[in-house]
Amino acid sequence: MIAGEFEYFAPKTLPEALRLLNERGNDCKLLAGGMTLVPIMTLGLAQPAAVISLNHLPGLDAVEDVGSALRLGAMMRHAAIAVHPLVLQHAPLLAAAARAIGDVQVRHRGTLGGSLAHAEPAADYLCATATLAARFQLQKEGRERWLDATEFFVDVMTTALEPDELLTAVEIPKQAAGSGHAHQSLRRVEGAFPIVLASAQIAPRYTAARIGLGGVGPRPVVLDVGDLVQGGVTPAALEGVGARAFDAAAQALSDLNGSGEYRRAMARVYARRALEEAAAALGAGGSR
Amino acid sequence: MKTLVNLKVNGRSRQLAVDTRAKLAEMLRDELRLTGTHIGCGTGSCGACTVLLDGRTVKSCCILAADVDGQEVTTIEGMSKPGELSPLQRCFVEHHGLQCGYCTPGMVLSAHQLLQDNPTPSEADIRHAIAGNLCRCTGYQNIVKAIRAASEQQ
Repeated sequence: MIAGEFEYFAPKTLPEALRLLNERGNDCKLLAGGMTLVPIMTLGLAQPAAVISLNHLPGLDAVEDVGSALRLGAMMRHAAIAVHPLVLQHAPLLAAAARAIGDVQVRHRGTLGGSLAHAEPAADYLCATATLAARFQLQKEGRERWLDATEFFVDVMTTALEPDELLTAVEIPKQAAGSGHAHQSLRRVEGAFPIVLASAQIAPRYTAARIGLGGVGPRPVVLDVGDLVQGGVTPAALEGVGARAFDAAAQALSDLNGSGEYRRAMARVYARRALEEAAAALGAGGSR
Repeated sequence: MKTLVNLKVNGRSRQLAVDTRAKLAEMLRDELRLTGTHIGCGTGSCGACTVLLDGRTVKSCCILAADVDGQEVTTIEGMSKPGELSPLQRCFVEHHGLQCGYCTPGMVLSAHQLLQDNPTPSEADIRHAIAGNLCRCTGYQNIVKAIRAASEQQ
């Protein structure tokens, strides 16, 4: 039993949810999958006066093809993202990130929006969505705005979401057919939270390449490495990408899972691995 | 503070006024006396509280009871008729897939989910499928054997 009393609301429509959020934004918590919120409330680390559940809102759990991008509802569960045909075809890196999260039961319940709004720096989705140049739809009563990853992720467990705002969708640009991707992470054991992450996305014929890093600072870091891989993923290119990742991880924080110095060293290793795996997948056309 | 919840548990419709602070696992155990659902860590790590929610495994210690209104829950008690064992449960017995039994309900439900999704899993698939269920005494070896035996019997 959670110790502290709280009011529970289960709005059935988005306008109703936004109205509640407008009224109670300052003392409420939004409940999505609850994979973090319910445990931290159980432990007494969060004691909201009200909980607004998003689990009974229709329409926030689908993927929409909007031309040059996919728009994913914020309440999509990880397990659904991992196997969705449109995601596997146009943004398989996101599916790979979804597959890497937690365990089977967590993937059945946890949501895209919940993880992103929680903004734990080493979460799989932060690294993957930043690498994919995702945009985030934030709604409140009477206003909608779209932010990119550099605007949305502000600091450790801090986003641009205002107390009365709800993350409703994430838009991911479609990746060209034949692109290569990889999502690599350092974890103590399967299901454990990542310590360091590296995502890679390479366009066909190496016309563009991006590496995303997670767990190496307060926010995800994205490196444009297109200039380094113009001639393919050569030993020199790997060396260069590793060095750039090492430099970019200078802000890495220390905790019980590893020192900042260790994370920085691992950023070099995982960036190189992700790049190699993505390069090997180039032209394969399908999902990995 | 109470919230009214309508749900189906092991095929039977139920209406309950639950404490808003109660988790699904607590409602199952304390209100419905379905004590086969165990609570280990209470924070989503051990998987002892695994149940099916609308046919998919979840950790019932991380879900508010109030939040499952309109849904269908299957617990370990719903896996077989009283006094009987399902073929999967029989395999756990025959292969010594349990010792103290604390993790067993969660293990059985995760194995059930796996065999629904993939009737012919490899050993790696089996280990991957029970990654969210911790066992601290049997050791995983016989649990994996039991699940493999169940897959071969299907």
